[in-house]
Amino acid sequence: MFTKVLIANRGEIALRILRACRTLGVGAVVAYSEADREGLAAQLADEAICIGPADSKHSYLLAPAIISAAIVTGCDAIHPGYGFLAEDQGFAEVVRAHDLTFIGPPAEVLERFASKEATRRLLGSHGLSTIPGSGMLRDEAHALEEAERIGYPAMIKPSAGGGGKGMRLVRTPRELESAFKVSRSEAKAAFGDDALYLEKYLDETRHIEIQVAVDRFGSAVHLGERDCSVQRRHQKVIEETPSPALSDASRKELAELALRAIAAAGYENLGTLEFLVDSKGDAYFIEINCRVQVEHPITEMCTGIDLVALQIRIAAGEPLGLTQADVVSRGHAIEFRILAEDPTKDFRPQGGQVGAYLVPGGPGIRMDSHLYPGYEIPSYYDSLLGKLSVWAPDRTQAIARGDAALRELLVDGVTTNIELHRAILANQVFIDGKVTTDLLDRVGSAPFVAAGNR
Amino acid sequence: MPAHQQVPAVGPTDADQALRVQRDHEAIGRLADDLLPALIAKLAASGLGEIEVRESGWKARLRKPAGAEDGRRSAARGAAESHAGHGLVSVRPAGGHGRVTEDRDRRPREDDEEASEAEPGRVSATSPAVGVYHPRRDLAVGMPVRAGDRIGWVDVLGVQQDVAAPVDGLIGSSLAEAGEAVEYGQELVRIESPASDEFDGPGAARRPTVLGNA
Repeated sequence: MFTKVLIANRGEIALRILRACRTLGVGAVVAYSEADREGLAAQLADEAICIGPADSKHSYLLAPAIISAAIVTGCDAIHPGYGFLAEDQGFAEVVRAHDLTFIGPPAEVLERFASKEATRRLLGSHGLSTIPGSGMLRDEAHALEEAERIGYPAMIKPSAGGGGKGMRLVRTPRELESAFKVSRSEAKAAFGDDALYLEKYLDETRHIEIQVAVDRFGSAVHLGERDCSVQRRHQKVIEETPSPALSDASRKELAELALRAIAAAGYENLGTLEFLVDSKGDAYFIEINCRVQVEHPITEMCTGIDLVALQIRIAAGEPLGLTQADVVSRGHAIEFRILAEDPTKDFRPQGGQVGAYLVPGGPGIRMDSHLYPGYEIPSYYDSLLGKLSVWAPDRTQAIARGDAALRELLVDGVTTNIELHRAILANQVFIDGKVTTDLLDRVGSAPFVAAGNR
Repeated sequence: MPAHQQVPAVGPTDADQALRVQRDHEAIGRLADDLLPALIAKLAASGLGEIEVRESGWKARLRKPAGAEDGRRSAARGAAESHAGHGLVSVRPAGGHGRVTEDRDRRPREDDEEASEAEPGRVSATSPAVGVYHPRRDLAVGMPVRAGDRIGWVDVLGVQQDVAAPVDGLIGSSLAEAGEAVEYGQELVRIESPASDEFDGPGAARRPTVLGNA
């Protein structure tokens, strides 16, 4: 096991990793930018080190600063969290070159799964269905040709991407022509790579992902699925497990299929395979996330397994220490992403200073958040304030606990999406477990909130 | 205060109120006259994105506008002429009166230094990066430096990053040892402000600037 881990991230995930290190008895150093000096992780850590200015290009994304911080503080491993450098194979490689361990998949594994398009081909060859799509698009003419072949509507997607950036839905050749250049420049700006591909767009789909863990020795388990169908512009808003859209037989089948494919493809450490499931129940593999996911707590609540600790142990070269039979998922869990956004004002991120702050409690309630009263939310980063997760023996009770907890949650001084969550919980489509990924965007969030207030 | 003891009021008396208002005015005056110019100089010279100082119940925060100079080295070199361009100055009470010590308890050690460095004439050269600090070998207390002069470097994975004097002045006490691991923004060397005739006289322009060359 490691002696000391450098936590190269911020916000709630830095805190989550700090907690995992403490429970493992591993030392931890929180690396923070100047804007995060007052962040809870930096405040709670036994050791914290400032790595650069607020701009993440010069701090959380600056590999030499992070590695130098690890070396001068005597760390032997770096945990990248999610986002920033979490899936950057170049970073993983440089970390290793400095005799440090990258907590995540080894660099060569990250490299193998770096291109979404290549990953779809690789896992397709190991038995996963993929959405009909194109290869890398050479130019607009090539894109039009490929769209004709796979059929409209189609989605333009950046190969390097994530988080919905550079993605465009096109229903006609004309729309494709106008969207192609915009997607290309967006992808270039967001990921430094303007490679695009096309994918057939499936209407009325659910987003279901399978959590897997694979150790260095090839032992692999899945930890069930998460349903992340409540999305706004391709950003997850609410996640739950198990998925209300799958029967027990089909969830088992999908998870086992995913696990076999990923193990055969030589994956290592924690990973999440994302699928789109259409109205017929067919699951299409879309991408893999080679990191700990934002929504990991709901899996932890149902399985009782600390995923971040597991991730650290695997990176340290330990065996999984559990078999598939040891992974038992109990009850139902839902996570609400609490965001500093104003749903009534087109979700513009809201800054501000947290006034009163009250975290809900009671059975099955968990809050992962870096907030505290008086905390000034830096304007440089994303709008995630925290994650409220609830667990109950079944879905109906989980919804009831979720609503009760959301009513208790108080974040003064900042506009949040708490009311949107309550409105979604009260919506019949959600209650019936029939939410598809396009619902929030189709209906609009303001009507949701308005309906919830009635 | 015996006079006050006779007043049966539970809340703050008018006299208390007036005293507090007066103190606030004094604090604002001090911030505007002394602290802000020093802070602006530091912000311009250091390449920091934001500086916050707490003093006697007040908090002053300066933030560089987005898109402003973010190359640390050039920011340091251009320190003298770039004072004007840095907007966004906010001054407000830090969470009510009498809470300053509470706040301080939880803050990292640099803080007290940050507050004291805000006194006129007490600024420091700060670290441009996380790494190992090496002062220039000929660095000595009392040595005159110009804003932007290299007074040492921080070794970041074998790459030297310059530590530059943020303002004209005299080298003061060292706040970090040679070979010490330092973090970004850490204060390394105090720069004392010289008596004005020493530096701003006609001879000042002819004084050779000591640069680089460790």
